[in-house]
Amino acid sequence: MEKLLEILEEIDDSIDYENEKALIDDHLLNSFAIISLISEIEEEFDVEISASEMTVENFNSAEAIWNLIQSKLED
Amino acid sequence: MAYHENLYLLVFLPLILIVYQVFPKKLRPYVLLVFSCLFFLANSKWIIVPILLTVLIWLAGMRIEKIRLDAEQKLPELDKAGKKELKAETEKRTHRIMIIGNLIILGILFYAQYLHFTVDNVNRVFSVFGIDLALKVGKTFFPIGISFYSLEAIGYLIDVYWNKVQADHNPFRLGLFILFFPQVMEGPIASYKDTAAQLWSGEGLKVDNISAGLFRILLGLFKKMMVADRLARVVGCVYNNYTDMYGFMVILGAVSYTIQLYMEFSGSIDIVIGSAEMLGIKLPENFRQPFMAQNAADFWRRWHISLGTWFRTYLFYAVSMSKSVKAINKKLRKSRGKYAAMVGTSAMALLPVWLATGLWHGPSWTYIFYGFYYFCILLAETAIQPYMEKLEDRLQITAKTPWYAALNIVRTWIVIFTGELFFRAKTMRQALVLFKHIFTGSFFPERGVWTILTDQKAILLEKADYLAILGGIIVIVIIDICREKDLKLREKILQGPIALRWSVYYLLIIALLVFGAYGSGFQAVELIYAGF
Repeated sequence: MEKLLEILEEIDDSIDYENEKALIDDHLLNSFAIISLISEIEEEFDVEISASEMTVENFNSAEAIWNLIQSKLED
Repeated sequence: MAYHENLYLLVFLPLILIVYQVFPKKLRPYVLLVFSCLFFLANSKWIIVPILLTVLIWLAGMRIEKIRLDAEQKLPELDKAGKKELKAETEKRTHRIMIIGNLIILGILFYAQYLHFTVDNVNRVFSVFGIDLALKVGKTFFPIGISFYSLEAIGYLIDVYWNKVQADHNPFRLGLFILFFPQVMEGPIASYKDTAAQLWSGEGLKVDNISAGLFRILLGLFKKMMVADRLARVVGCVYNNYTDMYGFMVILGAVSYTIQLYMEFSGSIDIVIGSAEMLGIKLPENFRQPFMAQNAADFWRRWHISLGTWFRTYLFYAVSMSKSVKAINKKLRKSRGKYAAMVGTSAMALLPVWLATGLWHGPSWTYIFYGFYYFCILLAETAIQPYMEKLEDRLQITAKTPWYAALNIVRTWIVIFTGELFFRAKTMRQALVLFKHIFTGSFFPERGVWTILTDQKAILLEKADYLAILGGIIVIVIIDICREKDLKLREKILQGPIALRWSVYYLLIIALLVFGAYGSGFQAVELIYAGF
C-alpha cells in the first residue's frame, strides 16, 4: 500500500489519498492521470489492467486501487 | 413531434402519463414501449433500424452468455492447462461476437450517416488526379437519433462482453432501453446498467416526481424560447452573410451561437430529463455549468457529458489500455522518460477519440476539423500541464486564486467560442472566411453594431428582444452559479411552501407566454442535436 501511495503522491501530491474516497467522482484524477497511474502500477507490481477494469469503483480511492492490485496479484 | 412542440408537451406527454398510471404495474413498461414506438414513428418511418439493433444486441448478448455458461460447466472437469486453454478459447469466441455485433451496428450507422459523404470525397480525391470515377449512391435512410442509440447499443454489447452487466433475456426491456421516447432523439446517451431496470420497474406516478419534472421542463422551454430562438437570428445573419462580415460581428456571431447551442441543447435535455422524471425515471445529466470550466478538458467534463463519458469509457480507455499502446508507452518511458510517455500515450488515445467525436456529429469536414481542433487543444493542455504547475508554485497561486480562476475561465471561453465558430459553419470555406474577417478588414461596421442588430430586414429583432435575451441569460447564469455552489435551488423551491412553488411555476409560464419568441416573424427553430 505504501508503494501505491508513493506512486499516487508522485502523480499529484495535493490530494489526501488516505482519506479521499471520490478521486474520480470529484474529478481529482483525470483520465491522463489514470493512464500514468496504470503504467506505474503495471510496472511496479507486474500486473496487467484491462480497459474493462477502468471503472469509477476501482479508482475512486487508494484503497479501491489497492484492492484491484491485490485481486490481480491473486489471479 | 419534437420535445419543445405543443403536440408533445400538451398532448403526447399528458396522455402517456394518464395511460401509464391507468395500466397495472406489470404492463406499464409495455405502455412505455408502445408510446416510444409511436413517438419514433411520428418522427421517422425507419423504426425497423432501432428494432434491428435491439434484436442484434439481444441475440449477441445471449450468445456471449451461453458460451461463458458452457465453459463454466466444462471447467471443473479440466486440468490446469485445459482450463487455461478453455478460458482463452472462451475469451476469443466472446470477443469475436462482440466485434461482429459492433461492426454491424457501425455498418448501419455508416450507411445512414456517412455513405454519401465518403463517396463524394472519394470522387473528389480521384478528380484531383484527373480520374472521373463518378461513383453514385442512391437515397439512403436516416432514422432519427441513430447516432445516439447506436452508441447505447454498442455500450451494452461491450458491457456484456466486459462482464459489467448480465445479458438481458428480455428483448422488450432492451427495446425500451434503445427506444425510450424522451431520449431517443437527443440523448442523453444512457448506459444499460443505470437505466434499463428503472425503465422496466413500472413504478406508479408520484406527485413529487411530476412537480419536479414539470419544473425542469419549464426551465428547458425558458432557455429555448427566451434565449436560443432569438439568438438563432443573430447567428443566422452572420453566417448567411459571411462573405461580407465585420470582425466584431463574427465574434458576436460565434459567442451568440455558443450561447444559443447551450440554451437549446441543455434546454431540450431539461425537457427530456423532466419528462422521464415525471415517470420516476432518472436519466444521466448532460451538462454541468460548462462555462465555469477552467480549461478545455474541464469543459468536456461539463458539456455533453454522456457523449464524453461514452467515448472515454469505450474508446479512450480501450485505445490507451490496448497492448500496442501500452508497449509504446513502456518503450517511451524507458527511452525518453515519463513525460514523453505521458504525452505520447495521450496523443495516441486522444486522436481517435476526437476524430470520432467530430465525425459523430455528422458527415462534414467542419465537424472533423472541430474534433481535430479539440485534439490539439487537449494535447497542448496535457503537454504544458507540468510547466503550468511549476509556474503556479513559483507565483504562489492555485486554481482557486480568484483572479487566476477568472483568467482561466475567460481563456477557456475563447477556446470554446473559436471551436463553435467552426462547428456552426456549413463548409470549411465559410468557417475560414469568417475566421479571417476577425483579423482583416474593418472590425466595426460603419453604420454601427446596434443598427445592424435591430435591422428589421436582416435580423428582425427589436430592443425588447435583446432585453429578453439578456434577462434570460441572467436567470440561467444565476441558476448555474447556484448549481456550481451546490445550493440545491430547485430542491429548496420544490420542498418549500406551496405558494413559493406555484409562484415560480406561474412566473416561468408567464415569462414563456409573454417573452417567449412567438409571433408572425418567429418560427419554432428546430432542435440542433436532433439532426445528429
